[in-house]
Amino acid sequence: MALSTIVSQKKQIKRKAPRGFLKRVFKRQKPQLRLEKSGDLLVHLNCLLFVHRLAEESRTNACESKCRVINKEHVLAAAKVILKKSRG
Amino acid sequence: MADHNPDGDPTPRTLLRRVLDTADPRTPRRPRSARTGAQRALLETASSRRLSGQTKTIAKGRSRGARSIGRSAHVQARGHLEEQTPRTLLKNILLTAPESSILMPESVVKPVPAPQVVQPSRRESSRSSLELQLPELEPSTTLAPGLLAPGRRKQRLRLSMFQQGVDQGLPLSQEPQGNADASSLTSSLNLTFATPLQPQSVQRPGLARRPPARRAVDVGAFLQDLRDTSLAPPNIVLEDTQPFSQPTVGSPNVYHSLPCTPHTGAEDAEQAAGRRTQSSGPGLQNNRPGKPAQFLAGEAEEVDAFALGFLSTSSGVSGEDEVEPLHNGVEEAEKKMKEEGVSVSEMEATGAQGPSRAEEPEGHTQVTEAEGSQGTAEAEGPGASSGDEDASSRAASPESASGTPESLQARRHHQFPEPAPPPGAAVLSSEPAEPLLVRCPPRPRTTGPRPRQDPHKAGLSHYVKLFSFFAKMPMERKALEMVEKCLDKYFQHLCDDLEVFAAHAGRKTVKPEDLELLMRRQGLVTDQVSLHVLVERHLPLEYRQLLIPCAYSGNSVFPAQ
Repeated sequence: MALSTIVSQKKQIKRKAPRGFLKRVFKRQKPQLRLEKSGDLLVHLNCLLFVHRLAEESRTNACESKCRVINKEHVLAAAKVILKKSRG
Repeated sequence: MADHNPDGDPTPRTLLRRVLDTADPRTPRRPRSARTGAQRALLETASSRRLSGQTKTIAKGRSRGARSIGRSAHVQARGHLEEQTPRTLLKNILLTAPESSILMPESVVKPVPAPQVVQPSRRESSRSSLELQLPELEPSTTLAPGLLAPGRRKQRLRLSMFQQGVDQGLPLSQEPQGNADASSLTSSLNLTFATPLQPQSVQRPGLARRPPARRAVDVGAFLQDLRDTSLAPPNIVLEDTQPFSQPTVGSPNVYHSLPCTPHTGAEDAEQAAGRRTQSSGPGLQNNRPGKPAQFLAGEAEEVDAFALGFLSTSSGVSGEDEVEPLHNGVEEAEKKMKEEGVSVSEMEATGAQGPSRAEEPEGHTQVTEAEGSQGTAEAEGPGASSGDEDASSRAASPESASGTPESLQARRHHQFPEPAPPPGAAVLSSEPAEPLLVRCPPRPRTTGPRPRQDPHKAGLSHYVKLFSFFAKMPMERKALEMVEKCLDKYFQHLCDDLEVFAAHAGRKTVKPEDLELLMRRQGLVTDQVSLHVLVERHLPLEYRQLLIPCAYSGNSVFPAQ
């Protein structure tokens, strides 16, 4: 399994999907439903894309307000937008 | 102008003077006699070399030669004072400015033109960056670089000394003043360079940091608390009569009170403790000192059982300082824990017998968020290292006993409180019966389900890390917490949507089609960008193989469609 990738940022990002975690979360939320085998991989993909969009939006907000650090407000504003977008 | 320093110390001033004396003020283009022309050439080369090279020997040699030749040109040079050439200006400065004084002269009338600055700057460029500031400052100072020139040599020395002093941390207050340069700018430069570092180091040379007075204060405050709050009876679960005679005084009381209290208060305390540990689940190191404080503070009011363990262990910790705490109140120990919460983290590394202790703590600190037990485990380490083995072993067992009900409780959270207290109480009651040195207790402990929060946070942290990776910008911690909340909300939305989609298709299992539909609705999958494209882009190969049907040999497709 692809465990980690060394990126130029000197941060090891694990590309592994926390399948157990996802399954557990889903089960906790909807005990009556079942998740298929590769379903959680797609859920992971969905999360990745969500986080990616959120990060991009937060970054944009931070750059617009000319801050060097991403603030809580930036994230909050970004979350509002992206969560609205991510409504099924 | 007589040469004050013939050979010994050719200051820039003297060199410049020589240049002025010997060199012809007029440009070389003017028609001159052959001799003066030769002089000129010689002098000019000499002067240029002097100016740029700054080698004493060459200067000396040239100056000697130039001097003898140049005296004849001296008169000529004099005659052209009114011309505004660099030479004349420099000469004026040399004439007017006192050699050794570095004070601001009122007599310097002419502003310093750029070329003059160039020459000094050339010299200064070889020095520290501080000095480089000098030419830039010239507009603001009437002090000409010519003035700087004479003083520069001394200034240079002083500055070098200054720099040495800075390195050595010597008091350099004299130096900037000595440098004066009235170009208070340079001195201010020096001062600004120096002052941030000097004042502290001057008083305490060698100590760059504040003395670690924190420790002393902690102990002092701690002792204060000990004496002040001679509160509740020592409700310490000390199983047996180990060396500490003082604790044993209190122990019988505790001993007896222990079985009584747990049932009533244990549940509440455990719940509260569980809740608190739950909330402090994420267990960031920073939070820990605060959490045990709240944790312990809450406990004090409710149950002794837990506090007992903490007390004993923390008393083991404080044992290094005093033995008294052992039979002091619970609150004192808690306050100790509070204060030592920070130092504990340092001490935990030092516990030589930590490993041996670790077995016990590990046993019951399965739940990592049981910070209290963590604290006690760490307290055990130093406590053991301090030599109070028995105390700490004693402490360990009751503490583990208290830890287990608490950890059990913490696990159950507030969902299943009932099963916890009885086993907890049972364990507690069984504690007294157990022998002293229970180093490796295979305790009958039921491992309940892990608490919801901690692995939840752990899983979320994976995505939070991805967030910070995608963002490529530094982030605040609060922002990261915000991201966690967003992820929580997102997961909820996700599950709801999937449920709806599955129900719409009349299924009870969520299939990849539902996921695809969801992504389509989110706008991630479009007619241009299909799901497979996204899968290929973002997921590693192994997952890709699982998701995208691919034909393999033998006319088989995996995964089967």
